[in-house]
Amino acid sequence: MRAALAQASLTRHRGRTILAVLGVAVAAAMLLDMVMLATGMRESFRELLLSRGFEIRLAPKGTLPFDTDATIPGVSAIIATLRTNPDVREISPVLGASIHVLAGNRDVSGSVLGIDPSVQGDYELLSGQDVAASNFIVGNDHLLNQLGAHIGDTLSVAIGYDPQTRTYSGQRKLILTGRVKFIYGANDQSSAAVRRETLEAMGGQNHDRASLFMIRVRKGADAERVRDWIEKQLPNVTAISIATAIKQVDERLSYFRQLALILGAVSLFVGFLLVTTLVTVSVNERAGEIAVMRAIGVSRSHVVEQIVIEGVAISLAGAVLGLALGLVTARYLNTILSAFPGLPMAIDFFLFQPRAAWSALGLLIASGIGAGVYPAWRAASLPIAESLRREAIA
Amino acid sequence: MSADVATRGNLVSADRETAIVSLRDVRRDYALGAERVHALQGVTLDVERGDYVAIVGPSGCGKSTLLNLIGVIDQPTSGTVAIAGKRVDAMSDREATQFRLRNIGFVFQRFYLLPILSALENVALPMAEAKVAKGARLQRAAELLKYVGLGNRERHRPSELSGGEQQRVAIARALANGPMLLLADEPTGELDAKTGTEIISLFQQLNTDGTTIVVVTHDEDLASAARRKVHMRDGRVVES
Amino acid sequence: MLAFLLASFLFQTPTPIGRASVTPDSPQPRTIAIDEALAARANLKVGDRVSVSARPGVVGDTVIVGAIVRRGADPSEVARGDLLVRMHLDQLQAISGYGDRVDRFAIATTPGADIPRLIDRINRVAFGFKAYESREIAVETSRTFQVVSRFHRAIGIITIVASSVFLLCIMVLKVDERRRDIAALRLMGISRATVVRSIIIEAAVVAVLGSALGVVLGWIISQIVNWHYQALYQTPLAFSIVTPPTVIFAVALSLVLGIAAGVVASLRLVRTPPLALFGR
Repeated sequence: MRAALAQASLTRHRGRTILAVLGVAVAAAMLLDMVMLATGMRESFRELLLSRGFEIRLAPKGTLPFDTDATIPGVSAIIATLRTNPDVREISPVLGASIHVLAGNRDVSGSVLGIDPSVQGDYELLSGQDVAASNFIVGNDHLLNQLGAHIGDTLSVAIGYDPQTRTYSGQRKLILTGRVKFIYGANDQSSAAVRRETLEAMGGQNHDRASLFMIRVRKGADAERVRDWIEKQLPNVTAISIATAIKQVDERLSYFRQLALILGAVSLFVGFLLVTTLVTVSVNERAGEIAVMRAIGVSRSHVVEQIVIEGVAISLAGAVLGLALGLVTARYLNTILSAFPGLPMAIDFFLFQPRAAWSALGLLIASGIGAGVYPAWRAASLPIAESLRREAIA
Repeated sequence: MSADVATRGNLVSADRETAIVSLRDVRRDYALGAERVHALQGVTLDVERGDYVAIVGPSGCGKSTLLNLIGVIDQPTSGTVAIAGKRVDAMSDREATQFRLRNIGFVFQRFYLLPILSALENVALPMAEAKVAKGARLQRAAELLKYVGLGNRERHRPSELSGGEQQRVAIARALANGPMLLLADEPTGELDAKTGTEIISLFQQLNTDGTTIVVVTHDEDLASAARRKVHMRDGRVVES
Repeated sequence: MLAFLLASFLFQTPTPIGRASVTPDSPQPRTIAIDEALAARANLKVGDRVSVSARPGVVGDTVIVGAIVRRGADPSEVARGDLLVRMHLDQLQAISGYGDRVDRFAIATTPGADIPRLIDRINRVAFGFKAYESREIAVETSRTFQVVSRFHRAIGIITIVASSVFLLCIMVLKVDERRRDIAALRLMGISRATVVRSIIIEAAVVAVLGSALGVVLGWIISQIVNWHYQALYQTPLAFSIVTPPTVIFAVALSLVLGIAAGVVASLRLVRTPPLALFGR
């Protein structure tokens, strides 16, 4: 009976109910977006780091991977040291540099990674062949498009450019053997990969050096323990576990999390305010009706229940609509933030995580309940005789 | 059959002479702005089982206040109110609500039907609150509507009924849980003369069928139809 | 021992917070300046001796912390967590093995100088470098904050749309609450236009008062935001600035939205027959 009464009451003022549902939906959408923003980056980044299964990264002391041009010397010695730990399963040294690919009188500049193709975790081969030989090179779509190059083409690649003499250094001809997608690559970056020894040879100065080591630990091993061991063994590197990396990214992007928290709280508050206002107006209008229900013997709690059901119904409908709206706006906002220079393509700022989303919407619905209880209780507690008299006068 | 419909449910088997309503030196004061209004100033009154009492008097004499106290929707400032021997003047809200639900039927001047429910649903509402099964309550609601002459208007909303029809529905609702006492506050106040007469006849029929009725009214015809008149003035009973 | 080194030849001059006094003739180690973040992190104060090198694990030059400086308000540096050291150019060149090279020159011109012409002249004779106006580079390096600005603008638009819906909703509810009063006025003979006008005036007054309160609240929040983020990122960068155009825009928009909501809410009711408003 109470649900039927609540439904009838809501449909009595259809326009108002629709507007209230819309208002709650907007609040729900914003709340959802903020929850997605607060947790999205971290989860997206974690997924990215774990995508190839490398749990630890080594960077030059005090830096994050590819944050600076600094390199780590003594690659062979480092690999030898790392291999003494039985928990270390695979080591992938990576050397990074800038390249200039010369095509006619055009100079397309980009970045290059020198890798070991048997253990690399930086790119996925989309078509063609990996860098099996020292004169092979693979590139991403952005590079290939800029060059107008195809698999099988021979490219003239240089590693350094001296602006004083306007000459290129480390130049050699490499065969484009494959088309790849760089996992940590940004949308607008031209990138390529060659064997590490090729890049070292081109670079001259970069002999036996790496910009980064990626390490896979044995299944079941404690990555943090391995990380601590590495830091003790190798004082000239910074060992970064997934947890550490996420913490550092968190610090850099803490602004977005705080913004998300504030806007999320405001959305929740506004949703609460809306439902409170609706319920208050509704019970004020029905003061006489409520007094009569009390007079004929309907208990206070049952009157409150019926009114609260109305509030919950609006919150629920708003939450469902808000979910759809929130996903659409999140996509739009994510597109804006994805334009961050140098941001890996795979990073999403807004990530939908069912548990977090349901918690947020559940919170909104709970606030809808809370918003309805107080005005309903007040209305149901008014002295019956006085309410009836006031209604008679009105 | 008809009498049964109106009165079954909560009949207390007792001597017909027992007072069903008993007020002793009841006072009711309330604040109106800065002033203190003495709505009732020491009212002592008995209503016997099966009686039909009309409380009359000028506006502001305290008639409605008295009715509200009998109906347990208000509490006296001092004095005692007993319904069927049970003290009701100091009941908690929960007790009072339950008591009203099962023992008292209230009819108001302005009908106060819920506009969102049909006539049948309005009558069934108190039974739903009393946890009567759906089938049983709808059946009884239909019987009550038939009793008040609206058997063919069950599905109509209040906005589709005339004033007189709405008041009949309100009376049927008041009888839903078979109360021992039916109270009515100016039941013909919003009705035209012809319709008022129909309602007066209905009250007489109810009383003949065994319902104890107390009405508050300005309507001379309604007052005359009652078996007893209680005159009030300035918060006191002046003639009974 | 300092393990990281970030020599930065910034365009802005950091503000010195503390300075050591070193007499020029004494055979003392040379001085460096560090930023507040580094001073806090490494627990350094003016006068402390430290060793500076370009490679970890290698003993470098001994220097004295001569000054602790406050970083300039460079948006591209915020949140990076970089630590700043300023050294004498020749010492840095020696330590880093850079030789007689620099990353860039910063040129200050005399007042009234024709800068585009100067840049053109430099670039015509330049050998191995290119000259830019500082503004151009600032635009390039602030791409990050352009993205953030776009994001803020999008959030702002969404907030305005959301606020409009909330405002309309609450306005409709509050005006609806007075349906009987409105019905009574209409039955008395008061015209629709008069009723709508009175509600609009009410809505406008509420909008003006609300805007005033909102501006004050916004200003307070702006101060809190700046205080918080300046402390968090150790920067004098202003994160939020309340400007007259911002205030005017916010107030104007609130007025427009408030009045529009009032119009919609009142028109809804005055179009309903008065008796229907009484529920008959």
